[in-house]
Amino acid sequence: MPTDVAQHAAPDLASRLAALVGERRVLARPSELRSYESDGLPGYHARPALAVFPGTRDETIAVVRLLAELDAPFVARGAGTGLSGGALAEGSVLLGLHRLTRILSIDADDARAVVEPGVVNATLSRAAAAFGLHYAPDPSSQTACTIGGNVAENAGGPHCLKYGVTLNHVLAITVLLPSGEVVTLGSADGERDGYDLLGAFIGSEGCFGVALDVTVRLARAPQAVRTLLADFSSVNSAAHAVSSIIASGIIPAAMEMMDGPTIQAVEASIYAAGYPVDAAAILLIELDGAAAGIDDDAARVDAFCRDAGARGVRIAAAPAERARLWQGRKKAFGAMGRIAPNLVVQDAVVPRTKLPAILAEIQRIAELHRVLVCNVFHAGDGNLHPNIGYDATSADETERVHRAMAAIMQACIDAGGTITGEHGIGLDKLPYMDALFTPATLGAMCALREVFDPGRRSNPGKVVPVHSCREWFAAPSARAGGAS
Amino acid sequence: MKPSPSAIPAACAIPGTPLSNASAGIDACVHCGFCLQACPTYITLEDENDSPRGRIVLMRALVDGSLPLDDADVRTHIDRCLGCRACETACPSGVPYGQLLEATRATLTRMTPNPFLARLVLFVFARQVLLRLAMLGGRITRATRLSWLLSRLPGRAGFAMAMLESTRSAMRRRHYTPTGDGARGSATLLTGCVMEGLFANTNRATERTLVANGYSVVETPQQRCCGALHAHAGDDDTARMLGRANVAAFEQSGADFIAVNAAGCGAMMKEYAHLLSDDPTWRARAAAVASRVRDVSELLAEAGPRSGGALDTTVTYDAPCHLLHAQRIASPPLRMLGAIPGLTVIPLDGSEHCCGSAGIYNLIEPDVSDRVLAPKLANIAATRASLVATGNPGCLMQIGAGLHQTGARCRAVHPVDLLDASYAAQAHAHRTP
Repeated sequence: MPTDVAQHAAPDLASRLAALVGERRVLARPSELRSYESDGLPGYHARPALAVFPGTRDETIAVVRLLAELDAPFVARGAGTGLSGGALAEGSVLLGLHRLTRILSIDADDARAVVEPGVVNATLSRAAAAFGLHYAPDPSSQTACTIGGNVAENAGGPHCLKYGVTLNHVLAITVLLPSGEVVTLGSADGERDGYDLLGAFIGSEGCFGVALDVTVRLARAPQAVRTLLADFSSVNSAAHAVSSIIASGIIPAAMEMMDGPTIQAVEASIYAAGYPVDAAAILLIELDGAAAGIDDDAARVDAFCRDAGARGVRIAAAPAERARLWQGRKKAFGAMGRIAPNLVVQDAVVPRTKLPAILAEIQRIAELHRVLVCNVFHAGDGNLHPNIGYDATSADETERVHRAMAAIMQACIDAGGTITGEHGIGLDKLPYMDALFTPATLGAMCALREVFDPGRRSNPGKVVPVHSCREWFAAPSARAGGAS
Repeated sequence: MKPSPSAIPAACAIPGTPLSNASAGIDACVHCGFCLQACPTYITLEDENDSPRGRIVLMRALVDGSLPLDDADVRTHIDRCLGCRACETACPSGVPYGQLLEATRATLTRMTPNPFLARLVLFVFARQVLLRLAMLGGRITRATRLSWLLSRLPGRAGFAMAMLESTRSAMRRRHYTPTGDGARGSATLLTGCVMEGLFANTNRATERTLVANGYSVVETPQQRCCGALHAHAGDDDTARMLGRANVAAFEQSGADFIAVNAAGCGAMMKEYAHLLSDDPTWRARAAAVASRVRDVSELLAEAGPRSGGALDTTVTYDAPCHLLHAQRIASPPLRMLGAIPGLTVIPLDGSEHCCGSAGIYNLIEPDVSDRVLAPKLANIAATRASLVATGNPGCLMQIGAGLHQTGARCRAVHPVDLLDASYAAQAHAHRTP
């Protein structure tokens, strides 16, 4: 591992960084670093040695080159809304990119934009709206999260069911490698010759370097949109409705499930959307595309829901009502603070046919460990977000929550699923990597990282357990069978 | 770094402080970050320590004792908060940020007092004779045009004079006598400190428009400063003293509604029950009074408002934070403007963002205040409107001073003044057909 800057280089490093970006943009005192100890998952906290906030592309390059010169590890951070502890920078330099907020260009004819990494997702869509365009990936944190963070996590969102995740909307990235070298991955024309290094970079969780600018594809608004709210008296029947809609071949733009406790938290908030508060679950289903035939599809979805046991289905009439229904869903995670002072959230994915079974299993696990699980998730992708609210001042409850989370993750893996749909591995899901991948596969991941960051200074200690890389490099013979 | 979240200690390190009672509000924050883009100081200063989420982290550190009450960084970032509460209308968890901020400031100022200028202003506002003298001094300075002359001075002194200069009435006054049947009930006006001192015309316009919309207006002689400036600055003892005085005074009036035309004061009065929650008897009395408090735009919108005569001009609307975010009142002021024939209302980009006035903030934190004001002025200029309407004296003076110093032709007015001018125009049209 690289040397810990907190131990030997910090005083000098702070002043050298300040010379590059200005004194006010370097934080070194513990009281000011406190706010940067966590991302959106505050159960984890770790203190950076320093935080530095460059304001321009050139400053960013200068900072990273200085860090390379000093062999100092660093962690890039956008808005700190991540949910896997990925932006924690224990003992290393936290490189805040939230000041790089320029939208460099919007090309309406070719429907693409070039943005700096600190541009907020929703800000890009708002700017593109002037041209009848929007940026399709819509993570629930889109009013706060940055494009750079979206690239790092390969972020999804409700509408990724039909439109795909960040990977499907990024054409090119100018990457600042941890060595300080600047390279361009992908091309604005969308043609990718040779190995797809852009694809490797997207979702690399800050381990492969820093995006200096991102060329994204913009989407045109669909001709017609129908948003349905289906109201169920059991989670199981809602899950069956999801399965039958998917099986029918209809591809909704989005299909989200929220359970009773989540609905109640949202309805108590400023984002109250008019969800039925006595429902055990609701499905929020959006259909979009050509106007012709959309009402037939809506009628079929309505019928599938009712067949599965829905108490009622309504179609949002006006754009304002649709927006309200979506706001409620997107702010649901934030509303969890109404349930308990502390919160953990997971991001597992299961095959969609397994949804009814896994939701029943999660309920069984919750009862076994005496915890309250709230489910709000992307049902159409089988991407679960079990939230457990708890009181972290109780050691016993904290322990039960962790056991329950581990059991839920194992159940999802056993069901043929995986441990993250969109939040990333970060720190939070490291312990599950060994259960999901063979040592050879993890070794291959380490080898890929070597290509981008041979010094392993960019977001060290995340994504792949350190012992995997050690084993990999200790036993070169394993490389022969490595790329599984 | 242990790859699982750990249990945290429960102990409160600062028992007996106002902040120690606010833990539940702090715990409601899940650190989601949805408040960041709503926060003017985060957008301006680009440091999470100057965001709601970051400040809540600092508050939590004070409560659990991991940072001391006299930590200079904590004080800096808490002081820099505008208290605009835009984070509250972004927060899904309902964190009562305004209350947390006041509790934090009340706790911190016990350790380290506010700067002299802040204490001087608060001292004056809490004493009726001094306040009247200060306002008289202001009016003399304005009447002699000294404020116009001195508004060219650089720095805070010049800005303060520009604020005073901007209180000069923007509307041409034409006399009319409103008629109304009083059928909507009785209303009494919180005359306010700055409103009665420097915007007396707006207070009279408020009374006239209320009468014209079916309210009878009665006076409440014993009223005092609402205490908002004191509560926001951490001087909660004085805020409570003023709160109790006003509760007693407005109990006497017996009016159905307490009409307030200063958004900051209205927000304070609606929260009197919280302010006086340390005493059960006063809390109940305060809750009863608070339940009668209405922003003047609520009362007028409730009545329509009645449409007036034509005003051939353009206006844009800037929402006072303590109207939009603290009182959650969005459309009533726009309905007032909508009742004026001939008036063109141009939407204002970023009207939900603070202008940087924030009570006495613009005097205590001038640099940040100026940087928050700059985009507001640019957005107003982009509308090319002749007037910008906003219903709070602080905002009227902050925006007014900014417009004055940049030589803009646009003037800041209270929405009530526009409606009143519209009614006057109607009365004169009838008189001279």
